[in-house]
Amino acid sequence: MRRQQLFATVAVVATLSLAAAACSSSKPKAASPGSGTAATSAPAAGGKLQQIVLGTTDKVISIDPAGAYDEGSWVLQWNIYQALLKIKAGTSDVVPDAASGCSWTNTTTYTCKLNPGLTFSNGDPLDANAVVYSINRVIKINDPNGPSSLLSSMKSVAAQGTDTVVFTLNAPNSVFPYILTTGAGNIVDPKVFPADKLLPDGPGDIGSGVYTLSKYTANQQAVLTPNPKYKGDDVLANKGFIVHYEQTPATLKLDVEQGNVDVAWRSLSPTDIASLQTETSKVKVVKGNGIEIRYLVFNTSLPPAKDLATRQAVAYSIDRNAIANNVYNGTVTPLYSMVPAGLTGATQAYKDAYGATPDPAKAKAVLAAAGITTPVNITIWWTPSHYGAVSGDEYTEIKRELEATGLFKVTLQSAEWDAYSKAYNKDQYAAFELGWFPDYPDADDYLAPFYLKGGFYNNHYDNPAIDTLITQEEGETDATKRTAELQQIQTLAAKDVPTIPVWQGNQVAATGLTVTGVDKTFDPSYIFRMWLIGKS
Amino acid sequence: MAASSGSLRRYALTRLALIIPMVLILLTVVFLLMRVAPGDPIQAALGGKLSAAQLEEKRRAAGFTKPLIVQYAEYIKQVFTLNLGTAITDNQPITTVLKVNGAATLELSFTATLIALVIGVPIGLRAGRLRDSAFDAGGRLFGIITYAAPVFFVGLLFQLVFSKWLNWLPNSGMLSPIDQAELPAHTHLSVVDAIWDHNMSAFVDSLKHLAMPSFTLGLLLCGVVIRLIRTNLIQTLKGDYVEAARARGVPEHKVVMRHAFRNALVPVVTVMGLQAALLLSGAVLTEETFNWPGIGNQLVTYLNNRDYTAVQGIITIFALAVVFISLLIDFVNAAIDPRVRY
Repeated sequence: MRRQQLFATVAVVATLSLAAAACSSSKPKAASPGSGTAATSAPAAGGKLQQIVLGTTDKVISIDPAGAYDEGSWVLQWNIYQALLKIKAGTSDVVPDAASGCSWTNTTTYTCKLNPGLTFSNGDPLDANAVVYSINRVIKINDPNGPSSLLSSMKSVAAQGTDTVVFTLNAPNSVFPYILTTGAGNIVDPKVFPADKLLPDGPGDIGSGVYTLSKYTANQQAVLTPNPKYKGDDVLANKGFIVHYEQTPATLKLDVEQGNVDVAWRSLSPTDIASLQTETSKVKVVKGNGIEIRYLVFNTSLPPAKDLATRQAVAYSIDRNAIANNVYNGTVTPLYSMVPAGLTGATQAYKDAYGATPDPAKAKAVLAAAGITTPVNITIWWTPSHYGAVSGDEYTEIKRELEATGLFKVTLQSAEWDAYSKAYNKDQYAAFELGWFPDYPDADDYLAPFYLKGGFYNNHYDNPAIDTLITQEEGETDATKRTAELQQIQTLAAKDVPTIPVWQGNQVAATGLTVTGVDKTFDPSYIFRMWLIGKS
Repeated sequence: MAASSGSLRRYALTRLALIIPMVLILLTVVFLLMRVAPGDPIQAALGGKLSAAQLEEKRRAAGFTKPLIVQYAEYIKQVFTLNLGTAITDNQPITTVLKVNGAATLELSFTATLIALVIGVPIGLRAGRLRDSAFDAGGRLFGIITYAAPVFFVGLLFQLVFSKWLNWLPNSGMLSPIDQAELPAHTHLSVVDAIWDHNMSAFVDSLKHLAMPSFTLGLLLCGVVIRLIRTNLIQTLKGDYVEAARARGVPEHKVVMRHAFRNALVPVVTVMGLQAALLLSGAVLTEETFNWPGIGNQLVTYLNNRDYTAVQGIITIFALAVVFISLLIDFVNAAIDPRVRY
């Protein structure tokens, strides 16, 4: 009986404790200034540096550079590790990071010289051998989720002395410097990271970047504190960063509204963003350039998409402005080339060829000229599990637009991503939705994967003139000539319509009212530079 | 007595022997289901990023192109050597996932069960004692509603009222980000870690975070408890020994608590034992709604990413846990009720 009474007492006390907790007001806890050492001293406008909390629905596959090829992992890596080169904030320009400079010795040899006196956060020296070890390790491990494919153009890498690294390429490749800015180029400590397998994620992930990883709980939280041994030129605007991983955009939105996170970045839905924009007393919405794109792909071997006239008629009929405004509440921008605006060489080839607004008369004429009977029956596939549920609304709008011309009878079909991505590769879909998130901010990353013979997605598109131009621009060292070649590729592809670009995403974050610096890191590279974020 | 203990031993040995084929069947079904489902971890993570040829090369490197029988043999070998492997999609050892996320589920399930008992037992008792009264009708209605209401709906309702409108409670997570960053993870049970670390602020914060998910899940269980207690109490109150107690002039509350309630608890303990096992995975919707980093939540993520290693590892442990809890309940039942052994 006494035991029963004891149990009952404990149970009641516990329940009452929960109830008491429920009755006390839930005020967000303010980050208290601490004693963390900033990598470089730069207090914000005379105030104390504060800890910042970033909320995100991104996932981390691996913090080890050899094990990840995804934005969620790279966000941490870019802040923990250094690479030889980096992309300057607010631009698409490649500038030195751990290197003091890099240059082409000839068209296939790229040489970098390291800054003197670099060390990892544990004090181990960062020299040319560490760079060679890191790059070779990515290739040797060849992790299923890793970025080894990004280095496929590299023949070898070697150290010359302790401060010089020489890359030899298989063929001229003008975008190689960009590849060194991705996760594949991050430099790790050879004494810590095993040569042939991934290092388990945690504070043992030693780099030489602005921050060190001081605590990590997978899928829950990463805590970054300033690296006192950092010797780069990036200046800290905070005293540390907490990345808080959320399961759904809905909880992310609530957390930024309640002040539990300072910055909510990726991936708030258009509806959430529209709602947050009205809550001006609690949060502010920060927008920046983005070069993530969505587009419609045609399999040029399957009817009805194998007919050029059908593809051109679709291009004449799509209203991108309606999609951007009605479906995405203006959070995306209409896209008229596979190369998004903001990148060197980007054109508006589809606007030039098919106009900015739908032109049913021209669509009808092109079908009539080809002797195609209307309405054309076409099945368009989309997936709800990779690009978000909004894809459904987007393709309902596209169906409405195509059928409004009276020239098409559209059937929409959807499939889960796993089945979907296999099916389009096996010639099962004539028309389907896809998206592209860049590895690096260069036009080549938007052209070569889609337009080279065979097509990245096996859509059987083949234009030898484009193949030649892509090979030329990849080996071109003259920037003016290269830009002209990139523009020519876009013009040719717009005529053939193997794809129809639909929209270009913007980077959007919701932040607390006192948060600063998010706009400074929003550029086409998608690199989230935590050190730029502060609180006033 | 000797014959009785012999039959109990024989029963126990038979049940133990049955575990081996049961676990093997479970492991085989898990393995096959994961392979039958379309996609694989490579396709889920890098599909749309790499060409078909590159994807195939990655699949080969990961061993997914090996014959099924070879993969199955490797899997069984891993299980029997207690090596559950490392998750393909987040580079986490499965043992770490079980430890970290399992602790979160344990904390939630334990608190929810406690809430279910604290609310459900008194209501069930009073409803059974005052059969067909207004309280009984109200109690039954409450039990049916809490049992029938979808857990995600109740969770969203709580979030709307207590978090969004009243701003009393945090909407999600186990701890606020800053407390979580500062609190060392001794046990991965946030309340226990806060007590361990003498951190009052984190303790209050963890209770606040625990309140909504545990009430949401507790209310669901509460419906089961109310109905079980009420039904069994009504049955036991009809017993001869209850009549005899009343005839001896024992006060009614003692008749109920000492004589009827104790007997009514036997089936409740059995059912609650099974519920506890089911809670390991049954909390998944609550975890999803409240961004609670439990094992169910994590399992869904791994399933979506087709992470064979992680799903197999977690389900293997789930299966073993359910098998052993069932076995324990069988033993307890057999010890209490001799009819079970024959």
